[in-house]
Amino acid sequence: MTASAAAVRDEPVRVWGGRLNLHVKVAGEGPPLIFFHALSGLTWEPLLDQFAAEYTVYAPEHPGTSPGEPRAIDEVQTFWELMLVYEELIRALGLERPLAVGQSYGGMVAADLAATFPQLFSRLVLLSPAGLWLDHAPIPVMQMVAGPPGDLPRYMFAHPEGPGAQAMLAPPADPTLIPAAIAQQTWNIGCTTKFAWPIPDLGLGRRLHRVAVPTLVVWGRQDALIAVDYAAEFGSQIAGSQVEIIDDCGHVIQADQPAATWTTISKFLAT
Amino acid sequence: MKVSLFEQVPYRYLPDGFGDQYSSAVTPPYHIVDPARMQESLYSAYAELMHGARAGFDGIVVTEHSQSSYDMSPNPTLLAYAVATAAQAEGLDIAITILGRSLGKTREPLKIAEEYALLDCVSGGRLIAGFPVGLSYDANLNASLPAIETRERAREHRELILKAWSTMEPFPWNGRFEKYGLVNIWPRPIQQPHPPVWIPGTGSPGTLRDILRNDFAFTYLSWDGPKLVGREVFDRYWHMADEMGRDRNPYRLAFVQVAAVAETDERAEKEYAEHLMALYHGGLGAIPGTMMAVPGYAEPAAIEAMLRAGGPDGMLARMKTATFKDIVDTQVAIVGSPATVADQIEAFVREFRVGNLLIMLQNGSMPRGLTEKNISLFAEQVLPRLRPIWDDEGWVNHWWPRAQGTAAAAGADSRPAGGEA
Repeated sequence: MTASAAAVRDEPVRVWGGRLNLHVKVAGEGPPLIFFHALSGLTWEPLLDQFAAEYTVYAPEHPGTSPGEPRAIDEVQTFWELMLVYEELIRALGLERPLAVGQSYGGMVAADLAATFPQLFSRLVLLSPAGLWLDHAPIPVMQMVAGPPGDLPRYMFAHPEGPGAQAMLAPPADPTLIPAAIAQQTWNIGCTTKFAWPIPDLGLGRRLHRVAVPTLVVWGRQDALIAVDYAAEFGSQIAGSQVEIIDDCGHVIQADQPAATWTTISKFLAT
Repeated sequence: MKVSLFEQVPYRYLPDGFGDQYSSAVTPPYHIVDPARMQESLYSAYAELMHGARAGFDGIVVTEHSQSSYDMSPNPTLLAYAVATAAQAEGLDIAITILGRSLGKTREPLKIAEEYALLDCVSGGRLIAGFPVGLSYDANLNASLPAIETRERAREHRELILKAWSTMEPFPWNGRFEKYGLVNIWPRPIQQPHPPVWIPGTGSPGTLRDILRNDFAFTYLSWDGPKLVGREVFDRYWHMADEMGRDRNPYRLAFVQVAAVAETDERAEKEYAEHLMALYHGGLGAIPGTMMAVPGYAEPAAIEAMLRAGGPDGMLARMKTATFKDIVDTQVAIVGSPATVADQIEAFVREFRVGNLLIMLQNGSMPRGLTEKNISLFAEQVLPRLRPIWDDEGWVNHWWPRAQGTAAAAGADSRPAGGEA
């Protein structure tokens, strides 16, 4: 059973001394799960429906990425402030040690929250997270973000022509909505890269030892944005963590290999 | 009106087809460079500016860009300082305009305050201080600063620089981006509280409002000529001036125009077309659109409006494929005999009320000899027709330097040699 799009509700939450109105998409029933999205913003995708079948999914939109409130990003000046904002949000929502899932940039956010506040989450699932840096495997954030739009799919997917990738890359069906959609996504990347530019390394590697909850790290072997080399790095720095590599799979693992991704995650959650 | 010689510093020997293969910003490959030709390209820019100063231009103008093959001017203060000191030595009374140090790009705003002040002093109070936000590729890719903070950073830096110039006591600065315990720069500008401030931009309503509120001058830096988007931007500016209670003093407006002058129209095309097209195909036209607006640099409403309009209105997006006829018909470049060039410039200057004209006469691969011919012909046969344009209206140019004394006398040490210090 999956939640239909209509079952996803928008929950505005005022935090940060009243200065910031965060929008959280909520769906499903069960124990709390908080999902941190990647650079380009939140889209409600099949993976979230899968989670919503077993959990109450809370998916916050990064400050500034909610339509109509672009300058909300100005209220969050540093990544440290972003950590505090999300910690406030989790308290404001009344979530007791939710399961945290973060993807790419969102993985960096989730991992640093878990390191900063070791009691905040119950478990941590990191899907090809950013946050570390290896000189032999540079992460081409700038090349991807400022390069030709036509190059984007090859950073994201091992199979740009596959159904998962095509669903993510598809423009709105109504052509009159396309300019607004492109503008919003471009701005979203501006909001998230504020804390990941030009190199998404804000010292997470010096803090990862503080992560104290069961952690799963999942990577696609053909990841062209954050190379699979980083999987072992996260694995070795988070004590007791489990690392799973998915074959024939790029950066957005749930698009390239949806079945294998779900199997890997649900096996971890069942333990 | 005031007419200044505007010059960028391109590498003049780009291989054929450069713009089809490479970007002219951020990633142009350095292996194509011949060191001797690099030296010549850089020195020619200086020599041509001096040629213009001697030929009678009212000022010289330089810009800042890093990691670019079309303007190798990572710190334009250096070139401007060379021209300013040489002009002093020769007694040339020219304004020195920098358009300018990029405020959204710098990590050291007080260096800009100091260097501009130094230029104002050494030139005897002849500096015009340009305060651009900076291009996205320069601020967000070359300097790698987050795009979404570019404008906020520029605003703080401008405020800090203006305060550093005119505050006589040391002061602390606790900004969002900069923190200094004691600000007390030496020297401070001769022109107090500050040299004339020109704000280069592409004419967004927010920028224009800020300029008029602060009584600065707007410098429309588009390379699109007056026809393509000029009317919209200029009309917006003057209407806004009316609404905000500012007069229609033409000196509130500066404009950059590319021009090429020869004895006849036919000869101008023959001599200049190839070099102009090198600018459009391999220089300005070879900056990818994605580098001009890194995500976060422009707000969603602005991006959406541009997409709905079918892309940028100007020539930049299609410069790489433009023909010489496109360029000339749209007046992106004004090319021809002295009469042709003067007629076309005079018409738009009067129509749009441009008081400060910045003329770009070296373009792309144009060699020094041809550039100096262009400068001489313009100075001798076009400039005299333009200079008196606004005289009959009697405006004062409040946005021109308030130089003290003659150029030659300004730096002289009047103390006797061998006397006690």
